[in-house]
Amino acid sequence: MKEMPEETKKEPASGSLTGAALEAEDVLAGAEPWEPVETKLVVWSLVIAAVALIIGLIVVPTSILHTS
Amino acid sequence: MTDLSNRRWYSGMLTQEDWWAVWLGVGFFFLSLFNLAGIDLVGWITYPTKWVLHPPEGGKGAVSHAFYALGKKYSVTAKGFYKGLGWWSVLWTYVVFTIATCIGAAFMRWNMKRFFTGWTIIYFLTIATWFVGHHAFIAANKINMKQYGLNFALSLGGGGSFILALIVGLVIGNFFKPFANYLSEAAKPEWYIKTAIVTLGVKLGYLPIKLAGFSHKLGKEAASLTFDLFVAGAAATVVAYLVFWPGVYVISRRLFKLPRKTAAVLGSGISICGVSAAVATGGAVRAKPVVSIMVSALVVVWAVIELVILPGFFTHVWPGTNDPLVAGAAMGMSVKTDGADAAAGELMDEFMRNKIESETDGAVIWPSGIITASAVMTKVWIDMFIGIWAFVLALVWVYKFERRKGERVPVSEVWHRFPKFVIGYFFCWFFLLALYFGPGQSGAAEAMPFLKTVKAGAVPIEKGMRKLFFMLTFMSLGIITDFKKLKEAQFGKMVWVYFVALFGFIIPVAIVIAYLFHHGMQIPNIAGFVK
Repeated sequence: MKEMPEETKKEPASGSLTGAALEAEDVLAGAEPWEPVETKLVVWSLVIAAVALIIGLIVVPTSILHTS
Repeated sequence: MTDLSNRRWYSGMLTQEDWWAVWLGVGFFFLSLFNLAGIDLVGWITYPTKWVLHPPEGGKGAVSHAFYALGKKYSVTAKGFYKGLGWWSVLWTYVVFTIATCIGAAFMRWNMKRFFTGWTIIYFLTIATWFVGHHAFIAANKINMKQYGLNFALSLGGGGSFILALIVGLVIGNFFKPFANYLSEAAKPEWYIKTAIVTLGVKLGYLPIKLAGFSHKLGKEAASLTFDLFVAGAAATVVAYLVFWPGVYVISRRLFKLPRKTAAVLGSGISICGVSAAVATGGAVRAKPVVSIMVSALVVVWAVIELVILPGFFTHVWPGTNDPLVAGAAMGMSVKTDGADAAAGELMDEFMRNKIESETDGAVIWPSGIITASAVMTKVWIDMFIGIWAFVLALVWVYKFERRKGERVPVSEVWHRFPKFVIGYFFCWFFLLALYFGPGQSGAAEAMPFLKTVKAGAVPIEKGMRKLFFMLTFMSLGIITDFKKLKEAQFGKMVWVYFVALFGFIIPVAIVIAYLFHHGMQIPNIAGFVK
């Protein structure tokens, strides 16, 4: 098994909201190309939403399926 | 360079803000449980109330009562003692929280002298802002403003204080930079918001206990309605969130061409619970700190705009009094801060009840609070998504985006990225639920004395401590936010992303989903009882 390269061994940014950590950097530029895994993330989220919607409409007594 | 191989599962438990949010939140939650043994150790927590300089005769709002110890209202065993504290509760709160935060700061090896003085200044600035924000002109609404002798009020509720705290912080951060730099050792919005989120778990666990009290007052019909709201709110929120997040993510990535991590934080900030979600997701995907700060600032500003627009729109344009609970649920899914959502829900509650009473010449009168409850219910469910979604995103980022071919990402990395404060949030929530369903007998009449003692401890934490830490968050957020730096980071572009996502996607989707699950739900008519 390969060792992690040096750059990935760096402690990841903590995400901490501290004054010292607030550096002026352009976080809106340099968009990475859209990857298939992003499509999967979005599609699966919507698929699960659709399934949850169908189950919810059937199960929840106040849903429009039961009241209309 | 840090050698990650030495990290253990318990690494950072005494040295990270994440964990110290858990220790603070859960620690004070345990203190609150001493109420079960008849000892009230948290009733001193201070809380503001609306005030005016010259209260009308027989009216409310004396400055001398502008701050009170929450034990004055809720304590079972020491009400008399806490009643006498009044403004002194501000000092009690300062002393106890100073000791607690200084212990945390010492373990995290911060500069203790600077932390102590910075914390002291930030605390009292926060209290002063909280006080000003509760002037009746800012906090009262058109229904209760007469009690304070006013003919006009801004109707901002507690949300006005959050905005003021942010403004005061921003003024310091942008015009008094040496001072802001000095305060920065104690201006820790991430620590404060995570602590507030842990206490939000107390709020969630306390919710059924509170509603059990409502149900006994409002009767069987109202109890059934609140249960329906609870179930419908859960279903609507699950569906809404799973549509919101990918929608905002796609808008950010494809329409506005934002980088992946920025889009993820924006997706959570605009979709879930604003500031909390932005911080949690920022931590999960390891976004640059400035992203969470920018999104948090936007959330606050847009929540206020929604607070001004949505109650009137839902009342007078659509759905009006035909479907008040659709409007409430949609509000909860659209407004991204707890404070602004509750304030907007309450405002709409007043608008709707006034409207239905006028339209029917008094033949229909709705009890107050149910529309507010519908707005808060969906919001509470959305709050629960913070931890779950942060965990899912951490998994995706660790195993998909940042993994390179042939590399091994240790399973433990998922744990190290897991937002630890979520543990405190769920712990407090489930602990209170266990008390509710166990000895609390699901709110049965004979268990109400027991639940009242639980309430005496829970309210100072879920109300006083939570709101105080939210105030500290907004103040600290302002102090460390330098617009010059944000401008360099093209802050304006993010405003447009938020605008398009909120009004073009989030609010319309929220209305549709709220309609699917809440259409036709009726509020009990109490006209026959109040005449």
